[in-house]
Amino acid sequence: MDKARIPVKLHRRVCLVQTEDAVLAEELLARKKLAQDIVGRLTDRVLLVRPGRSDAVIQELQSMGHTPSVVASP
Amino acid sequence: MQQALKRYDAALLRAVGGKLFKPRSQWPVDELIARSLAAINNVAVVDRRLRESEQASRRLLAVIGHSRQPRWRVGNLVEALQMLGEDDGVRPILDLLHAGLLYPELPAGASRLRDFKQWLAHAGTAAPVVFAHPAVTARAVGEKLGLPALIADHGSLVAREADGLEWPLRIAVLWQRVKDVPLRRTQQGDFFKRDWERLTADGLLNAPLADGFAELPDLPWLLASLAEIEGALRSAETELQEASLPSSWQEGLLPALESLWAALPWLDGWGPQHGRRIGPDAGSANPYPSAYLLSLLLLSQLPDGAWAEPAAIAKWIEERHPYWNTKPQALAVGAISPSRETTGPSANSGLDVFLLGVAHQLRLVEVGNAADGQCLVRLTAVGRWLLGIGDPPPLPQGFPQTLLVQPNLEIVAYRQGLTPGLIADLSQLAAWKSLGPACTLQLQPETVYGALQSGQTFETIRQTLERHAVRELPAAVIDSLRTWSNKRERIAVYPSGTLFEFATPEDLNEALARRLPLTRLADRWAVAAGDSQIDFRHFRLTGTRDYALPPERCVEVGEDGVTLSVDLARSDLLVESELQRFAELAGGTNLNGRRQYRLTPTSLTAARDSGVTVRALDDWFMQRAGQPLSAAGRLLLTGGLLPAAEARRQLVLHVPTPDFADGLLQWPGTRGLILARLGPTALAIAEENVEALRKVLQTFGVGISG
Repeated sequence: MDKARIPVKLHRRVCLVQTEDAVLAEELLARKKLAQDIVGRLTDRVLLVRPGRSDAVIQELQSMGHTPSVVASP
Repeated sequence: MQQALKRYDAALLRAVGGKLFKPRSQWPVDELIARSLAAINNVAVVDRRLRESEQASRRLLAVIGHSRQPRWRVGNLVEALQMLGEDDGVRPILDLLHAGLLYPELPAGASRLRDFKQWLAHAGTAAPVVFAHPAVTARAVGEKLGLPALIADHGSLVAREADGLEWPLRIAVLWQRVKDVPLRRTQQGDFFKRDWERLTADGLLNAPLADGFAELPDLPWLLASLAEIEGALRSAETELQEASLPSSWQEGLLPALESLWAALPWLDGWGPQHGRRIGPDAGSANPYPSAYLLSLLLLSQLPDGAWAEPAAIAKWIEERHPYWNTKPQALAVGAISPSRETTGPSANSGLDVFLLGVAHQLRLVEVGNAADGQCLVRLTAVGRWLLGIGDPPPLPQGFPQTLLVQPNLEIVAYRQGLTPGLIADLSQLAAWKSLGPACTLQLQPETVYGALQSGQTFETIRQTLERHAVRELPAAVIDSLRTWSNKRERIAVYPSGTLFEFATPEDLNEALARRLPLTRLADRWAVAAGDSQIDFRHFRLTGTRDYALPPERCVEVGEDGVTLSVDLARSDLLVESELQRFAELAGGTNLNGRRQYRLTPTSLTAARDSGVTVRALDDWFMQRAGQPLSAAGRLLLTGGLLPAAEARRQLVLHVPTPDFADGLLQWPGTRGLILARLGPTALAIAEENVEALRKVLQTFGVGISG
């Protein structure tokens, strides 16, 4: 590896929800049941989910009528 | 095979190698194994060894070859040999093991194998399994088995051959059912009552077989067993869950049927006579693998154009198979004694049901109706090919355009154009509604979502439908597919992602320029689905945080009790989100890799109003700072809830030493004259008590000045 190493801080096994736009993120945060499992907002389109609550969040998104794409490593 | 040979004791390996390829010198073990492998792949050597073997051994290898399943339980092979007229079914197996033409399947962790007979005798409760190399069994196929031709004289009949799609279709339906709700299993291996009732009440799973000549008991159980062997379902703890539909289906009808045929020797959970078979001995005492194979080998003895009665085939086997024939047999060794009917001499094996039901739908046999209404059977071209006694039959080309996709999102699939591959593709994206000459499916948001989730895209789904549709896809269908696909792309969830926090936007750009599989989230943030695909040689880690582990201590509380400094190298994303609930960022300054927050009356009042309690904050501070909420913080959080503070004037008596103050508070003569202790040497007294105190103190020579 002849290129310089890039300094980075790694956050492993994080659960995130990324939305198409900020309005959709707001819509999700307005859902009380979902908001309980959201611990923060990384950007206006990226929500940080409480550890261990990914299944509950996916289920709640589906019950809201969304069909989230679940991006998991193979 | 190599793994098995490596487990042999050196002396046993030398003995086996000596018979297999007759080494000329004392080779090391690795060399012996390598030469054994080479010998097995040498047709001339294999043929020579087969010629040297006894007829019973050659027949056994031929039987294994006909089955297309190299792995067999020893007990089932013993049964097959006994039906072929060998009283001692074990000896040929031992001979083949010694000759290096058959190998034992040894459990992981077992000690080195010294003696085959000992292994058979001490195999424990698990039925011992052997396997043969296909290169050997292929050479043995063709050996005369000495079976009779049980010809039924019924003149010429019209043959009815199944299309071979019934099992793939039903397995696909079951796969969809299990995908929706997994099947729970009891410790005995049965399904939970509710799940079994769900299967037995399912109209599609239990619908009569197309072109069926026999009713199969517990059909859903048969399907579940087949699907599990085929890998379409998988056991996960106490559940049977959906897996991937077999890859052989994409290769065409013949590979799909071949895979199902090879699955039959391991179909322990179901029998044609009583349906589902449950319990610990369902596998070890299963007579059907050998019976199924022999019934078809009997059919292979028929001359061209001849038919046989299924009942006659079943009767021939029942008279010779040790499970149904109560005549004493030569005893086998240890755990490999053949299966035996224990419930009484019931001679009904149900093999006629197998031939007319399972084998017919597998396209192994075709059925002819005699004038008296009796069904007769004979092998099809596919059956002869599967048994290894015929060439692959040329199958009629299906109709590529076989789907009628309707605007109401219903798909009509004409059966003559279906293939196992298309069945698998359709099962991914639409729900099966009916089976028949024209099957129907329904496109639904959930099914399309499932297809997208499994890696398909709007384009691949559309192409699948367009490639097989008899006419152009209706606009409504394309619109629905596009809407559902777009909707799915609106939200992405990373359940266990790896988040990269770069120091600068330029660093992130550099990482992306190196084609690392990252998705940009913001100017300094990128995410990957996991870290298994990441080449970490590109990075210098300034910190790592695993969110599946308990929170780490990364906050220091200042002496003032309200300044909180976050160690950015050890902190995580959660800590700052959590801090923002009850503290304010102190000017956004970063000092020596630390970020400061401050507890303020405003921040803590807001926290209290949003439901944050002292206990919750205590817990948070213990986790993150290693100490409870500071007194100052507690004051700011709860001070407003306490009674108002009182300001008043007081006369303070200062005494020379703390002991002096202790004495005044303890001695009954002065105790009642003191209001409170304000400090080690300071006491509050009421003005009206000053004179009384002065007098009391004078009695032992102490004065009060001022």
